[in-house]
Formats: sequence, C-alpha cells, structure tokens
Amino acid sequence: MKQLQIMVIDDEKIVGDMAKMSLEQEGYLVETFLNAEPALARLKERQFDIIVTDYKMKGIDGMEVLRTVKQLYPGTKVIMITAFANLDTAIEALRGEVHDFFPKPVKIKELKTSIGRALSENK
Amino acid sequence: MKDLTGLLKSVLKSPLKRSAGHLPFDAVFGLFREVLGNNNRSLEIITDMGDKLGGDYIFDINYIKGAYAELISAVGRSINSFNALTQNRYSGIHDAFRRIDGQLRSLIDESPSPSGKLVIPYEDITPDMEREVGGKNAHLADLQNHLRINVPDAFVISTAAFDEFIKFNGLNEKLRSNSLPKPSLAGLQSLLINGGMPPSIVSAVDNAVIKLTEKHGRGFTLAVRSSAQEEDGDFSFAGQFETVLNVPPRTNSITEAYKKVVASLYSPRAIAYQSQLGYEPAQLKMAVGCMVMIDAAVSGVMYSTNPYGDRDTLLLNASWGLGEAIVDGRTDADFYIVRKGVTPEAVISKAGKKDVMMINAEDTGTNEISTPDEIRGRLCLTAGQIVELVNLAGAIEKHFSRPQDIEWAIGGNGRIFILQSRPLKMEDNVRDNFTGINQAAPPEHTLIKNNGIAVQKGIAAGKVFIIKKMDELENFPKGSILVSKHDSSNFVRVMPYVSAIITDTGAPTSHMASVCREFKVPTIVNTGNATQILEAGQEVTVSIDDGGITIYDGIHSELLRQKNANSPNMVSIHEFRKKRYVLRYISPLNLVDPLLEEFTVEGCKTLHDVLRFIHEKSVTELIERGRESASRLKDHTAVKLDLPIPAGILVVDTGGALDHVGNADKVTFEQVQSIPLKAVIRGMMHQGVWHSGAVSLRAGDFLSSMMRMTDIVNESGEFVGNNIAVASREYLHLSLRFGYHFNMIDCYCSENARNNHIYFRFVGGATDITKRSRRIELIASILKEYGFNIRTQGDLIIARLSNISQEETENILDQTGRLIAYTRQLDAMLHDDGIVEKYAKRFLEGKYEL
Repeated sequence: MKQLQIMVIDDEKIVGDMAKMSLEQEGYLVETFLNAEPALARLKERQFDIIVTDYKMKGIDGMEVLRTVKQLYPGTKVIMITAFANLDTAIEALRGEVHDFFPKPVKIKELKTSIGRALSENK
Repeated sequence: MKDLTGLLKSVLKSPLKRSAGHLPFDAVFGLFREVLGNNNRSLEIITDMGDKLGGDYIFDINYIKGAYAELISAVGRSINSFNALTQNRYSGIHDAFRRIDGQLRSLIDESPSPSGKLVIPYEDITPDMEREVGGKNAHLADLQNHLRINVPDAFVISTAAFDEFIKFNGLNEKLRSNSLPKPSLAGLQSLLINGGMPPSIVSAVDNAVIKLTEKHGRGFTLAVRSSAQEEDGDFSFAGQFETVLNVPPRTNSITEAYKKVVASLYSPRAIAYQSQLGYEPAQLKMAVGCMVMIDAAVSGVMYSTNPYGDRDTLLLNASWGLGEAIVDGRTDADFYIVRKGVTPEAVISKAGKKDVMMINAEDTGTNEISTPDEIRGRLCLTAGQIVELVNLAGAIEKHFSRPQDIEWAIGGNGRIFILQSRPLKMEDNVRDNFTGINQAAPPEHTLIKNNGIAVQKGIAAGKVFIIKKMDELENFPKGSILVSKHDSSNFVRVMPYVSAIITDTGAPTSHMASVCREFKVPTIVNTGNATQILEAGQEVTVSIDDGGITIYDGIHSELLRQKNANSPNMVSIHEFRKKRYVLRYISPLNLVDPLLEEFTVEGCKTLHDVLRFIHEKSVTELIERGRESASRLKDHTAVKLDLPIPAGILVVDTGGALDHVGNADKVTFEQVQSIPLKAVIRGMMHQGVWHSGAVSLRAGDFLSSMMRMTDIVNESGEFVGNNIAVASREYLHLSLRFGYHFNMIDCYCSENARNNHIYFRFVGGATDITKRSRRIELIASILKEYGFNIRTQGDLIIARLSNISQEETENILDQTGRLIAYTRQLDAMLHDDGIVEKYAKRFLEGKYEL
C-alpha cells in the first residue's frame, strides 16, 4: 500500500519535529518546513495527502497556503494550527474550507484522529 | 512577557521592612486564604504545563511564554499576600523568586547567560549548563542532583576555561583556520600539551581541590576525563578522547592531565570522527571532569536494555578492579543477561577467565596485574548486587527516556557508583499489530477499573508495597508499587525507584502529583479503596491511558512490552528536551519535610519549592496569630461552649463558627457551625473516651508536678486555666489545658483537599518524665496510623498532616478529639513501656476503657 504523505509547515522547529515523530509512528511519510515559501515550491513538485500548517507565520501565512493548496489540489485537506486562537481566526479558516482547526498546544491524539478522518473522506 | 514587568516589580520591590504591631485576626485569615487561592492557581498552571509539555501535545514557545506569564503572576500574587501575612518576615523569598525567575526567563528567551565559571562542582550543575560542562558531566551531575544516585564527587573545568586556555596560548587564530592538515594537527596537540595554564584556571582548580580534600582527606586520586560539548548526547564519541586515571590531587598534576585530555580533541582520529558528524575542527569545545577515583573492588558496564535480543533483558559485564580493563577489552569479563521486571534474575551468568585486572598504581596511572587465583574464575557479582544494578539501570533509562550504556563501579564498602551514562544506539522498535493495550489482559483479572483520577499515564508492574507510616519509606523496595491511603510529598524520596503510585485519597494537583509527572511515574489518586483491594506483596500491573485506569492482578508482560511500542519517544527530539527544561525550575520539589533543617528559603530551587515554603510558613503564621488572638480576644468576644463534658471551652467566632444570636453567653454543641471545631468536640464527647474519675498520682508524680509548676506556667504564659477556640466555619485554632499538659490543634478544613491541614501539639503532664514520654510515644503511634508526620522530644509531640479531603479531615479530627480526651490522665497509668503499645492498639480498635 502507498504510504500517505503529510506536509507540516510551522515556523517553530519543535512543532515540525514533534508532528513528524508522532505521525511517522502511524506509518505516514512526513515532510516538515519552517516557512511557507519552500513548502509551496515543494507542493508544485508533488502532491501531499494532508497539509498541516501554522496560521500565523512571517511572510506567507496559513491562509495563503490554504488558497494555494486549494488551487493546485482541490482534494487535498488542510489542517490549520495556531497559537493565537480566537473566534475570528477560526471563522476565517473555516470559511476557507479548512478541514480542521486546532489551537496550540495540539493534542497529538486529536490531530491523528482528524488526519484519519480527512483521509477516509478522501477515499 | 513585557506585561509582567509591573507585577514583578511590585513583588520584587515591595518594601521589606516589617510594620509594627499585628493585623487583626480576620485580616490575617483573609490573607491566609489569599495565599491558598493563589497557590492553588499556581499549582493548577504547573499541572497544566506538566501535562502539555509531557509529550502528548505539540506545543510551541508561545504556549510556554503564555503559561509562564500566568504562572509567574500567580506566584507573584501569592508572595505579595504572604509578605503581607508574615509582615515581610521571610524577605529571602524575594531573592529565591528573583533567582528562579531569572533562570527561567533566560531559558524561555533562549538567551542562556553562561555562568562564565572556570571550575564548577557537580552539585552546582544544572541541566541547562550542558554547553559549559559537556554532555558527559551534565548527565552525571543530573543523576546525582536530580535522581540522587551515587556519583563520585567531582568538579568540571568548564568550556569557559577551555576558551581561556586556548586564548592564553595564542591558539585562537590557528583553530580558526578551518581545515587543519594532519601535520599541523600534531603540532597543535604538542602546543596544547606544552602550553601554559592561565593563573585564573590554576587558582580555580586549587580551590576545588581544597574542597575535595576537606571531604576526602589526602588519600584520594582523580580520574580526569573528557566531556566535549556534544559528548554522550546524540553522538557518543566513545573512546575518541583521552582519560587520565589516578591523578594525584595536586593542581600541577591535574593541569598536566587536563592538557593531555584537551589535546586529544585534536587527535587525527578524533578530528576524523568529528568531521564525519559534520563538525569543523574548531567547532567543538572540551570541558574536563575531575572525579574522585573509586577504589573499585568490581567494575563493569551495562546496557539498560538488550540491544541485540529480548528487550525485557539487560546486558551486564563485570570484572575485578577498575573498569578500564573491560572498556578497553583487555580482559575476558563476566557476562550476564538479566531478565528485568519485578524480581530481576540472571538468565545467563557466564564467568570470564579474568586473567588480568586493573588497579590504581602507587603513584599515578593504573597497573595491570594478574588476577589472584582465588577470585580469577569466580563470578564478581552477588545476586543482590545484580538486582541493585538492574534497578539503577531502570531508573536511569527511565530518566533519560532511552536505553543507556552505563559504566559503574562498586567501592570497597559495597556502594555502587555510576561513572558514566550515555544513550545506547538501538535498532528501531518493530511496531506490533495491536489495537489497544487494555485488550491484552483478560478482564477477569481486573482488580480496579476506572476508579480514581489519573495523574500520570503509563504502564508499570511490580509488587505492592503499602505505606502506612512515613518511616516505612526507609524500607521501600526499589521497583515496587507504592500504595498508600494519602498522597504525600515525602514520596519524592523514593520517586526514582517507584514503578507506580496508587492512593486512596488525594488530588491531581497536589505537590506529590506534580512530582509524579516530573518523574513520569504512573500515578492514580483518589481510588477510594486501593489500600483495601490491593495486598502487600501482591504482583500487579497498572495501566493508565486515554482509555482509562486499570489495575490487573499479576504481571502482564505483554502489556509491558507494548508500552514502548505505543509511545513515540519525544525525548529523543533535541528541541523538545530543550524546551522541557523549563520544568526543571518549575515542578520538582526539594523542600519535602518541614521538620527538616533544609526546609529554608535558601533551599528553594524551583517555583514549586517557593509555593511549598509559602504554604508551610503561612500555616505557621496562622497558628501563631491564632494563639495570640485566643489570648487577646477571650475576655471580649468569647462565648462559653455548653457541653455534657467539663471541657471548659470558650469560643471566639471569627466568622461562621457559631449559630449564635444576640448576647447569649453560651452555646450548645448543636449551635457549633465550625466544621473542624464540631469534629473535634464530637470526638471528645464520644462515648467512653472522657474519663471523669480522678486518677491517683503516685508520690513521685505529685512531687514532679509540683517541682515543674513554674516551668509549666512560664511555658504556657497567659493560657493557664483557659481552654479557648478561635474558629471560623472552616478554621480552628484550639488551645487546651488539662491539668498539667497542653494541647493545641490548628486546622483548616474545606472542600479543597490541598488547602487542608491539621497541626497538633501536645506537651507536659503531671507525672514523671518517663511516664509523660510514654504518653507521647502512645500518641505518636496512634497519630502515625492516621498518616501524621511527627516529631517528638521528651514530653513534647508536634504532628502535621496536610492535603487531606474534608471528609478525611473531619474523621481525623474526631479521632484526635477522642485522643485528647482519652489521654488526659493516661500518663499516670503508663507504668511500663509494654503497656504503651497495648493502650495504642485498644484505642485504634475503639476500646476506650482504662
């Protein structure tokens, strides 16, 4: 069976590192990026099954990542995570067709469940 | 964190001078409650941080900054209330707070300010100093300071000293020229070996040697060992650098050895290894550890988990004399494979030939000698030593969250020392196909299911050890499961060796709970009846996960095996470890027992310590102010308590203690609304405990009491003849005098277990000191049964208990009331030591006749 591919974008290294370790344990292939530019360049080379992205980043932010992903691969699910949780952010993200939205710290188990659900919807 | 500046300034700069006079008692009580409220909030935040930084959540620095801002503000408010309560008596609390806050801020802002010290003793090393002392030293110091494992006394010549040494010898430029050809490397090594020592380093080493000499006399030598910055971290650098053994404790010998070790950083072999790992030659710095040599009878190496086979086993090598022979592969050592678990057992013990052994040379260095015939082919280790080593390996592996390669030595006195611990490279775990851990064990073996509150998740197995009295902790068998009625911060003493903790009562935000999370000890509190369901010595498996709490009868090795496969090892992520370090200055508890001398403000090393100190001293303050109020207020506002027993108690109601209308000068038991007062009185009135007949004193007793009359009067001051309670709905300060002895109870009894305490004091009596002391012994043995922490001296007993539920507090107060009534005249009957135990036993059985 093909290994499912997940991209994680967050400007803090620890977020990518922890996400990678916990998601690889589930058998996913994980690539991590510290900012959106190289991540979007990589997206042009190849498709990922799920994108987990930080909302607020220097330069290109999470909403722009979401728009680009939807243009390139309308079927790819995006999960947004943010340190600055408030209702406005959540509403904006949800309007932009985000699959799920998590305030940080993100419970790993919930992230895994959300990814599992996104993948089963994709089938 | 700018918004905190204001608050901190208010805490750090609030005036320290003490105001004259005392606060009214209701103001004191209000401040006491403020302290409790802020302490509770602080402990909740600590709990949350322990949870979020525990590996189950993906977090970032913003979370840490936010949570810390909240925490420091709650602790700051607590200090403000505390200072007002104690009228700034404990000014040192500011310094402790400022110091810890400074350490935390530099960690959080990632601007660690290196201490700049040239020489650092192990006891002063903290985990964030890894870059100053090198990985190897940092790990060993951590084992010594955090887990309290035996590590030989040592000091480190730091990387700051290394910089100084390089600069002093004008080698900065040479090192900066990035690619060093081999001939130039040899030249560099020789320049270092023959280089001069900066006087500042010489003097710092001098001082360190003097300190070691004060402790060890002159008959010791040192092992001078490398500890490069990254050594024993993600890369082992095993065998890359020099070690000089058996160095005399003279500064010039040490500096000579130091230079050799430093030079080995640039040996062609070490440079090649570093460049393979992507290091430029000038990038790494070398710290050097100088450790007191253990004159080892036996030494060896162990792998805390077998990397080649069954992961439930451990590999162990042992040889006579120093460990050098094993590390260098010079001898055919004994080889053991030991099954870990509840009762570790060697499954393979193969005696090596051990033709040669290493010993310390007369002057410096080591000698290889031929092993004496009578021990040559014999196994070096006893079964007991193997168990001890396995337990140590387990504690160390758990602490570093990965298998370890550990060097150890057993000194002539039988004490085991850890000389080195570094990560062991393992093949990745093969994932099992399992769908849920709780399915692995058959449900009919379940002893407890979803009963209690999970404090720390995990899976553990071991033999049940039920703690009834705190002194039983002395005999706690390593690796056991600690089961107790109450939770207690005293458990921190055995924390590295506990497999799991289960208590009948307790809250997930107690001091103990916080420490359990710190040590990752699977813990369940508030089970209600674990001490009744589980039996001492019974083997059980504890499983706490998102699915709930289960305690199985017996050892479920399958479940234990799945434990590792199930949890990703976040600790192997460098960023995770680094960020989690903040908890080291937040959660651990060093101030455990208020009765010990080290319970001082200077002993506060973490915010948790600060909170513990504040709580304890606030209680002390409350007791003191309660006592004063009792004497001050009794003539003005006291109301007589009309009871069927002649206890003669006056009550000063500070709020909600009495249902009392108008100017009535007495109240009945039914009108008492104070929860703690009601409980104590109920106990005193319990059928059969109040003996009204006078007990005849023997002539000696009578004389003794006459002789001591002045002392007693002086000691008690104005209290003589007055039994008085200062009480509110949740608080009681009760001073009683019966005949020639004095009782005092100070208690807070509310819905929040963490706020509750009972302080009990009993002193004096009419009989001779032997009988009075026997009565104290009797009271102590009864109070111990209820979990009190006790100190006795002659005819004085002080007993404390805290963090107990309201129901439990009421129950214990009722028993204490009975005890007060029961023991009033009991001393006169305690004619011999043997009778003490008899009366204590009868009291606990509810038999009160004398």
